[in-house]
Amino acid sequence: MMTDAATLAPVQPRRRALALSGWDTGVGHALMILVSLVCVFPIYWMIVTSLRPENAIFSTRLWPDAASLDNYAYALRAVPMQRMLVNTFIVSAAVTAVQLLSGILAGYAFARWRFRGSAILFGAVALTWLVPLQVVMIPNYLLVARLGMIDTLGALILPHIASAFAIMLLAQSMRSFPTEVVEAARMDGGNHWQILWQVIVPNLRGTLASLAILIFITTWNEYFWPLLLTRSPENSVVQIGLQMFISSEGTQWGPLMAASTMASLPILLIYLVLQRQVISSFMKSGLR
Amino acid sequence: MRLGHLHLDPTMTDFAAEPHPPRMLRRMTRARRFRRQLVPYLYLLPAVACFVIWIYEPLAQAFVLSFQQWNLLPTAPKTWVGLDNYRNIFDLPKFWQALGNTWYYLVGLLPLAVLLPLVIALFTQDLPPRSRNLYRALIFVPMIVPPVVAAAVWRWLLDPSHGILNLGLQGLGTKPIGFLSDPDLALWTITFITGWKLIGFATLILSAANAAIDESLVEAARLDGASKWEIIRDIRLPLLSPTLMLLILMVVLLGAQWSFSYIHVLTEGGPLGSTTNIYYLLWQFGFGSLSVGWSSASAVILFVGFGLLAAALFALKAKVTFHDD
Repeated sequence: MMTDAATLAPVQPRRRALALSGWDTGVGHALMILVSLVCVFPIYWMIVTSLRPENAIFSTRLWPDAASLDNYAYALRAVPMQRMLVNTFIVSAAVTAVQLLSGILAGYAFARWRFRGSAILFGAVALTWLVPLQVVMIPNYLLVARLGMIDTLGALILPHIASAFAIMLLAQSMRSFPTEVVEAARMDGGNHWQILWQVIVPNLRGTLASLAILIFITTWNEYFWPLLLTRSPENSVVQIGLQMFISSEGTQWGPLMAASTMASLPILLIYLVLQRQVISSFMKSGLR
Repeated sequence: MRLGHLHLDPTMTDFAAEPHPPRMLRRMTRARRFRRQLVPYLYLLPAVACFVIWIYEPLAQAFVLSFQQWNLLPTAPKTWVGLDNYRNIFDLPKFWQALGNTWYYLVGLLPLAVLLPLVIALFTQDLPPRSRNLYRALIFVPMIVPPVVAAAVWRWLLDPSHGILNLGLQGLGTKPIGFLSDPDLALWTITFITGWKLIGFATLILSAANAAIDESLVEAARLDGASKWEIIRDIRLPLLSPTLMLLILMVVLLGAQWSFSYIHVLTEGGPLGSTTNIYYLLWQFGFGSLSVGWSSASAVILFVGFGLLAAALFALKAKVTFHDD
């Protein structure tokens, strides 16, 4: 026993086994550097191009010699970029808030009670991911039209009031919440509503934060639903704004890259600050 | 805290032990029980209402619309045409082309979004943690970038006359390549962009699964004289297979859907319909040519087809996951 523990305890033996394959490590580094370049260079090139003055836009130098913000100024003038960025922020923040709220409520119901139809309802929630938006787009469009909400920000939020992933993740983390704590709070006379908001939710801050990041980024990046609904630039989101630079014949690369940079800047900033949390929340989510 | 009360009656949850006259108690409990039974449904109401209104009811509506002919104008009449929409779609070469393209998208995505990440995950398990974290952070960037931005950037990189990638290739002696305008290339270009967004994500998923493998198994095999390749084939791959299946499942079920943004921004389904997949065809039917019936009929076909595919893949996954023990 003692010898086993002694060989297992330090990191040394493993290290040695790994060090055996120095060649492999070299190959690993080379592979990762190559893949990293493929993944990051396009984004780098976007930013570099956006900073080039107009007469140097086709330059292939890897570094901008004279940085200029002309492309940004042009992009902001050509389409109501600021307004679109604000719109996108409003929609993303609102969707994040309501999806967390509906997820907390539904997750609590599934985690706390066994009620008639609970299994069926849970299945119905889980199966929503099997229905692509393209399949229900026409009825959804008609509904928005009936509500008179075409070309409004509200219509961009409404279908996203609930998400299967938020509900399932929260139900799961609430199920693993220690029952003794909940029972103790009940003994203190707390009702379900109070227990949910005063005991459970504060303890799930981490889960809720990573869920919020995920929902915000996903909503910020959404393209299909706004494409269906927006008519005027003032009421649309930044992803639609980008498209305006492309569809006009003869793409203006400088302004397009400036607009693209602006459209991804909030996301990239979140990523820069909360990189670990972003990665882990995306991994938890599967791909949606 | 009054935790001490707990031992008095651990089963007591909702009913406060207050004395009541029996009849009143019965009435109270019935009303209470009803209210108590109602509570879970109230908590579920926002979510369920959202799904009914925006997913399940529209799904039923799409099914009904698939038997009708209509052009999306509120004033125009809806005509019942039975199975005509389905018959017409099946007679349409464009439909079969889109179906074939959907298949190519899926097949093309698998090497990029599953195979390459698997190789990377296996090759990089021994890298020191610090550099591994840096690589992780870098290769994950495409995943969070907005799809429209990804489309715009790749359009710029691949531009035949000024894109740096095309210029680089021309430096090597090729002619300008119309990555997005050549009917033979455009679909693969879009598949590549879709895969580019997923490489980092898939690699991290597989790396995590790989790191979770019990090292003592590997160590034991090594002591038994197993080669590196044998360890991968006989230990790592079988233990990774549930994760691999999950990834394949996601790529197959969602892959064609993700490419929608790139198709719409980059090629609008062209040239010559070569990049139109089934999702994009739905969009063209519905909002391009305003034929609601055709769009809904293809939506139903798509939904049923992918539903069957999902069921088959889940069954397969259940079989494979058995290895997990």
